[in-house]
Amino acid sequence: MENRVYNYLNEKAPPVREDRLKACSAFGGSCCVLSEGIRKGCLNGTRRQFSQTQGCTLVLSLAILNTVRNAVIVVHGPIGCGGGNIFFAGISKAFKQLRDPKADGLIWINTNLDEADSISGGETKLKDAILFAEKEFRPEAIIVVNSCVPAIIGDDVESVVRDLQKSVAAKIVTVHCEGFRSKIMATAYDSVYHGILRNLVVGNEKPQKDYIDDEERYRAELAKSKTVNLLNVSSMSYGDELELKRILEALGLKVRILPCYSTPKDFEEVHEAALNVSICSTHDDYFVGHLKEHYNIPYVLETIPIGIENTNKWVLDIAGHFGIREQAERLVERETKELNKALEPYKKAFAGKSVFLAGGEIRVLATAQLLQDLGLEVLGMKGYHFDEFGEKLISTVKNNDNLVFNIATGQPFEQSNLLNKLKPDVYVGHVGGNVWAAKQGFPIFPIFSQAVNYMGYSGAFEVARRLNRILKNNSFNKNISRYTRLPYYNSWYEEDPFKYIENHGG
Amino acid sequence: MGKFVDRPKYICAMGGAVATLNALPGVVPILHAAAGCGFNISNAINGGGGYVGSGYCGGQSLPSSNVFEREIVFGGEGRLKQQILSTMEIVEADIYFVITGCMVEMIGDDAESVVKSLDKGKRLFAADTGGFRGNSYKGYDIVLSKLFTEYVEANHKKDERLVNLWGVVPVQDVYWKGNLRVLKRLVEGLGYKVNTFFGEDETLENLKNSSKAVLNIVVSDTYGVDAAKTFKEVHGTDYITVDFPIGDHGTTRFIEKVGTALGVSGELINELIEKERRRYYGYLERVVDAYSDFDLQRYAVVVGDVNYTQGITRFLADDLGWLPELVVINDLIKEEQKEIVARKFTDYESGIKPELVFDTDASGVLKHINRHWEENRGSRYYNSMTPAFVIGSSIEKETAQKINAQHLSVMYPVSNRVVLDSICRI
Repeated sequence: MENRVYNYLNEKAPPVREDRLKACSAFGGSCCVLSEGIRKGCLNGTRRQFSQTQGCTLVLSLAILNTVRNAVIVVHGPIGCGGGNIFFAGISKAFKQLRDPKADGLIWINTNLDEADSISGGETKLKDAILFAEKEFRPEAIIVVNSCVPAIIGDDVESVVRDLQKSVAAKIVTVHCEGFRSKIMATAYDSVYHGILRNLVVGNEKPQKDYIDDEERYRAELAKSKTVNLLNVSSMSYGDELELKRILEALGLKVRILPCYSTPKDFEEVHEAALNVSICSTHDDYFVGHLKEHYNIPYVLETIPIGIENTNKWVLDIAGHFGIREQAERLVERETKELNKALEPYKKAFAGKSVFLAGGEIRVLATAQLLQDLGLEVLGMKGYHFDEFGEKLISTVKNNDNLVFNIATGQPFEQSNLLNKLKPDVYVGHVGGNVWAAKQGFPIFPIFSQAVNYMGYSGAFEVARRLNRILKNNSFNKNISRYTRLPYYNSWYEEDPFKYIENHGG
Repeated sequence: MGKFVDRPKYICAMGGAVATLNALPGVVPILHAAAGCGFNISNAINGGGGYVGSGYCGGQSLPSSNVFEREIVFGGEGRLKQQILSTMEIVEADIYFVITGCMVEMIGDDAESVVKSLDKGKRLFAADTGGFRGNSYKGYDIVLSKLFTEYVEANHKKDERLVNLWGVVPVQDVYWKGNLRVLKRLVEGLGYKVNTFFGEDETLENLKNSSKAVLNIVVSDTYGVDAAKTFKEVHGTDYITVDFPIGDHGTTRFIEKVGTALGVSGELINELIEKERRRYYGYLERVVDAYSDFDLQRYAVVVGDVNYTQGITRFLADDLGWLPELVVINDLIKEEQKEIVARKFTDYESGIKPELVFDTDASGVLKHINRHWEENRGSRYYNSMTPAFVIGSSIEKETAQKINAQHLSVMYPVSNRVVLDSICRI
């Protein structure tokens, strides 16, 4: 990764992750074959002959952008694009209000491209929508999210926005996340950060204050030298933020949390930091890479603070940047000791239980390690996609050589087959896709979410506590599995679960 | 040539098609579309449809060809063919129905001819449902029209005691299943058997044999009417449109209109109305104590679709003795149709005359309220529009808070409760 260059900001859109990171979206086989395939780059471009719907870059971009406060979203596309926001409208408001009790709910406008527009272009409707957003809501930012159709008909979104910006007070942010461009849903993170970097960060830096004397300058520089940008993700909770903040503040650091639930203006200060701290490399490499390029801010990227060992590593990595490793080691020792003591009774309850995990590959691998520490046996894992960042974490999971790993964005048919063979005692899965394992009768433990604490030391305890609770009564899923069924022929379960993947190398 | 929409309360034609096909027993849709279409649609269906869930083969299980750049450049028909065949190999269904998204239509893929070339008879169908063709309601009409034309068996001998009933759009009417059960029971009360296609205990046989029916009853002036025209063209069956009924006044009109169209005797019609009224007021009687002790009369603002706003407003004005002041209809409807819709809000027995506005933007509601009811300009004695209720979707919650009104969501999107077998409840 040391060789990667981050110099894409002159382009209107970032490259797709298939190209930039040689990411893979279809695989089934052992961890060791996966590891080798990723290193050699031979899993790039695998395909399925049967596929099920999956999230696209637009859907995932909105998941982040919807959290931005004081902003209005304009989805440029036919009337259905961004319709999934209906699901997030209420949720988004409640979580915004944890950060600001007065925050408004989610406002999004769809430009409603129709058949005529698909021939003659949709630029006028886009202009009208932006002007309406400005006049009606007076937001700090108007975020234009571009979908497939205007990209194909050749709407010049950038020049529409450039012209309009002269007469619009809100900062207009353009996010190019046309779903058909990338199979790797996580390309969305790059699209979102690309739009934020180009429109809210670079060239928008808050002007340096004129200091009245050296003392004031010294104080400001001291503050900056202790400030970290903690990069959150839209699927983590406020509780997670509080826990990570608690840890970093215990090291004497000042914490600024971005990009989710922040306001557009918050990004003007992003360069005023001594370190960028990521909790997920899949989410942040594009952002921290560019911030390093432009402002020479170093970063911590390759650990996720889930579970004891990973949290410890995360803390020590950060401390290393500030020369306070010894202090951090004392903190880590104290925290670990107390946590391990609290976890003891749970370890007994989990002994002999087996688990299958599905979700974002980074969090799946980190959670697998945590569950192993808690005494569970990991039978297999599934990640949305895979690239070198995941590859580096495989070795942290014990006995990984022959563990089955499925790379699939959605595609529950492969997993249903696999679970039928593996029969784990509990299924850990990502919000939105747990219904299928539930219908097979497995107890479900949702992997980290916006409502519960999952990260840091307190998160490890919460995971144990919740898992123990969930395992106490699985009657609901058992009943459901008896009286509903999955949509596949019985013969499917006799087949190789990865039958429909072309050249998967497994 | 429409305009942008602020927080649309519907998705695209393909979204309506997915919701419709998911609601039919034994049917699995195959999406020929970009990867995100089905996912986005499913979020909208589940999150706005009273948590209707993924069902048998919805949500992330929806078979989808997931076209990417390669297909956009070289064409996606080959990929579609592969997807249809693999779907039929692994997914169990009586009928597979291919629906197309914007992208594949723009590159000129012909799903219909791919389906014909596979020669699967009445197990495989296709329709163009590109999102730019219209909203969810359009998708409902496209799917029904196709099934009426190609799946419903022709030349059946008529069954004089059988009718079909539709116009209650799955998911867009969050209570569709419960509502169909009740409407079916009402028409059965007139001595007829009823196919609703989507209702409890119905199978594809009800649809397949629906040309036996003597009349099609469309419970809407707007939704399902195109499908009724198609049915008439193909099978010669007449249709009537009737307003979606809520409460005594609405239901009485429904029974009268349907009964008269079927040639049922006035006596039987009145008997049924009386029976329904006794049952209804038997329940409504329960709230008289509370209504009278706490003065439960309210001003009301009703916001939503064509079917529900007319039904609810009539219920509030004529059944409940409330004061519906303002009705905002969010649908994308044509100018000429607005007149037909407007007439439904002018003939209340109570003499109440609400103001009716057509506005597709969620932010419009508050503006219309402030225009409709004069704001307090610092007067000590001000006749405010309180106590008030805003009845609409979950999106109106904020509007209600802003005017200190109570809020109830009964129209899509309903995101603050789980809807199972219930009917529309106030």
